[in-house]
Amino acid sequence: MAAMLQRLWNSGPVRAVRAFAAHPLVQRSFVVLTLAVFAYAAWVGLTQAPPDREMGDVQRIMYAHVPMVQMMLLAGTITFVCSVLYLFRASWKTDALAEASAELALVFGAIGTTLGSIWGRPTWGVYWAWDPRLTTVAILLVALAGYLALRRFVDDPERRAVWAAVTGIVIAVDVPIIYFSVKWWKSLHQVQSSPRTVDPQMVHALRWNITAFFLVFIVFLVVRYRIALAARVREVTVPDAAPSRTTQAVAS
Amino acid sequence: MNALRIVLAAVGEGRIQGGWEYVKAAYAICWTGLSLYAVSLWVRSRRSEAPK
Repeated sequence: MAAMLQRLWNSGPVRAVRAFAAHPLVQRSFVVLTLAVFAYAAWVGLTQAPPDREMGDVQRIMYAHVPMVQMMLLAGTITFVCSVLYLFRASWKTDALAEASAELALVFGAIGTTLGSIWGRPTWGVYWAWDPRLTTVAILLVALAGYLALRRFVDDPERRAVWAAVTGIVIAVDVPIIYFSVKWWKSLHQVQSSPRTVDPQMVHALRWNITAFFLVFIVFLVVRYRIALAARVREVTVPDAAPSRTTQAVAS
Repeated sequence: MNALRIVLAAVGEGRIQGGWEYVKAAYAICWTGLSLYAVSLWVRSRRSEAPK
């Protein structure tokens, strides 16, 4: 093992890190670590953190809701970056990563919004209100569903990638609006829950849960990216689906 | 005085009493949703690895 690591390191640090991360044992260990951190974070949030003075135990929903929505915003940002990169330098890798992150943004956003809605019932008295934060999130989720539908409806991979990149950039405009909506409009939804805005006794649970959901996000993103890239490679290697730029894009 | 003690007790224990049913529902939806998505990724991953 040591000799293998030494050999890898001699071939260059970046290549060594890549090869190390691609090793099945490392990947399995990462998944096990993710599950362990997730279980510990849930235990801390549900049993160790104190109840909120006004919201009581209902506040514990925040330990899942906040990280889920944060991952949605992170995924939306990745989609934006990959879409811009694709338009500047066509690559199936950035196209596949944009597709993967958009799907994750929809999954994390839909679940996170549902959790927020459940939290809203005992605290606001309603499951849903057309508050600026909730409205902008709803717009993002509908737009992401449209983005993924667009990817399914276009057969030509090259045209699909360009259209998706443009759509991804347009959709991502909503991400900063969602983030700043609670500051700009100061409406029903409270300001962002972060270690600076919550009680110090709750910071420990919040940090562990953000870490846990981030690890889950990384695992999902890597697996989904591989699926998207494999599909793209399969599409463009069939003889009648290889337009001019496709060969270049596969190569990069 | 008695009324004040009741109010303060309510503040100390959390003004929303109970609420565990909402917490359980939220965490059940979260864990089920993520588990189902993990299964869907696993199935799609196996399918993409299979030779055509």
